[in-house]
Amino acid sequence: MLLEINKLTKYFGGLAAISNFDMVVNELEIVGLIGPNGAGKTTLFNLITGVLKPTSGKVKFDGKDITGKKPHVVAELGIGRTFQLNPLFADYTVLENVAASFNLRPKSSYVDAYFNTATYRKNEADILNQSLEILQLVGLDKIQDELAKNLPHGYQKMLGIGRALAVKPKLLLLDEPLGGMNSDEIDFTMTAIRKTRQRGVTVVVVEHNMKIMDLCDRVIVINFGHKIAEGSPKEVRGNKEVIQAYFGVAHVA
Amino acid sequence: MSDSQLYVKGDNKITKPALYTGLVILLAILPLFVKSPYYLNVCILTFTYIVAAVSLRVILISGQTSLAHAAFMGIGAYTSAVLAKELGWTPWICIPLGALVTTGIGILVAFIFSRVRALLFGMLTIFFGMGIIYVIQVFSKWTGGYAGIMGITPLFGISKVPYYYFFLGITVVSLLALYRFEFCRIGKTLKTLDQSYLVASSVGIDEVKTRVLAVGVGSFFVGLIGAAYAHYTLVLSPTSFGVLQSIYLVMYVLIGGLGSFAGPIIGTAVLVIIPEAFRGLKGYSPFIFAGLLLIINFLMPQGLVGLPQLIRSRLEHRKGKGGTHAP
Repeated sequence: MLLEINKLTKYFGGLAAISNFDMVVNELEIVGLIGPNGAGKTTLFNLITGVLKPTSGKVKFDGKDITGKKPHVVAELGIGRTFQLNPLFADYTVLENVAASFNLRPKSSYVDAYFNTATYRKNEADILNQSLEILQLVGLDKIQDELAKNLPHGYQKMLGIGRALAVKPKLLLLDEPLGGMNSDEIDFTMTAIRKTRQRGVTVVVVEHNMKIMDLCDRVIVINFGHKIAEGSPKEVRGNKEVIQAYFGVAHVA
Repeated sequence: MSDSQLYVKGDNKITKPALYTGLVILLAILPLFVKSPYYLNVCILTFTYIVAAVSLRVILISGQTSLAHAAFMGIGAYTSAVLAKELGWTPWICIPLGALVTTGIGILVAFIFSRVRALLFGMLTIFFGMGIIYVIQVFSKWTGGYAGIMGITPLFGISKVPYYYFFLGITVVSLLALYRFEFCRIGKTLKTLDQSYLVASSVGIDEVKTRVLAVGVGSFFVGLIGAAYAHYTLVLSPTSFGVLQSIYLVMYVLIGGLGSFAGPIIGTAVLVIIPEAFRGLKGYSPFIFAGLLLIINFLMPQGLVGLPQLIRSRLEHRKGKGGTHAP
């Protein structure tokens, strides 16, 4: 088990955004997290990555308790993530976005960096190579010198994934990676996510687009902060509660 | 200066260092031609505020809107002045001590204030700046309170020429040190916080540590120049380090151009020299500053630094060579 969430609860005022939520992610799985708007999917990501502190419950990652740890510590432990509204280092180029995200486990200190030692120069060359490799994976290598803010939406989403990969994550949390993409971009992104898994990264993906189901080994459905269904994509598709959550209760006489 | 391929922007690898070296040589031989103490004084003041503005920019690009930078300058100035006056130590020891004390206070304050961002952070720094003035008043036995402190140990004799070289030296060394700081991995990391602290922390950048580092470095250099300034003017008054002065420092950076290293240098040079040149207009400086800020905002989004490029592209446009704008 790579990620284990135990009775996780988060209240905003009197409202439970997530309540008594249990979830397990096994190594090298691709798990889909679906549910209507406001179901608590993004909140769950924010709780896992330490952007929000849970009211109660536990999050265990790779055998360690990471409940309430700060975001940069969670990243250091091996969880990479993207964001739904996809903020970027807007004034940096595509390449700089990824390179600046290689801050973890640098093989040279700030002192090395300041005095431009051989260690630092070697490390920078490594970072450059690895960044280019990531950009190839997410299909942005041809526009590496473009400013991030000038990219079309779909490319920005891909850049978000590239940046998260720079953390060298064991677990990647993707928040609506297909949002606002056209169908070519969707196909490309899905392939990239598959390739990411082949590189040994476990993936949890929040998505509205049902196409994502093709990618998932397992799907978890949330509504109003509760888990309402879990299973293979096929099982979930046929689940009555899920259909009700999405389309409302059918009034069949 | 930049080394790794990642951070090299291309074309001006040779021209820029040559230009800057030429400028420094020009400034170095200036006292041979300019003998007037008045002009030398304007130059020394310009050097002082250039270091203050460039060190402030380090803090600003890390996403922290500090409106207390003049207060930090005051901490350096008063620490060094009081130590020299009360303990009789030589300024050569008191100036570095002033810089170190300023750094220490800067780090402490940055750590406490790192809990908040944006407007709240700015407000807190304003109150800090006001608080420092109050502290100077409380310790009036040593600081002279609102009346100011007088009779500070001078660094050199009556002539302004040694001061000129001393301040030119500190300025060049400080700028080189800060330039390197910005154009290696440290600076790149610093700037991520301004763009998105959420993304930065998601890729493992320690926000608190990085912010404290920026303020620490910024306050070291402003403390240093403040301390040196005390042993040049020999008289200090708390009003020189108030919130208004801090706002002026921010203006120097914004008008010159926040986005580039040369921005605050050019901004300070223009905004310190112009009021000196047109003394009759000094009372209007708030209007002039506001007007400049508007003009910059509408016409020169990159600040005064972008002016040559702007003119060049306009001229090309007029010649019908348009459409060559960089993306």
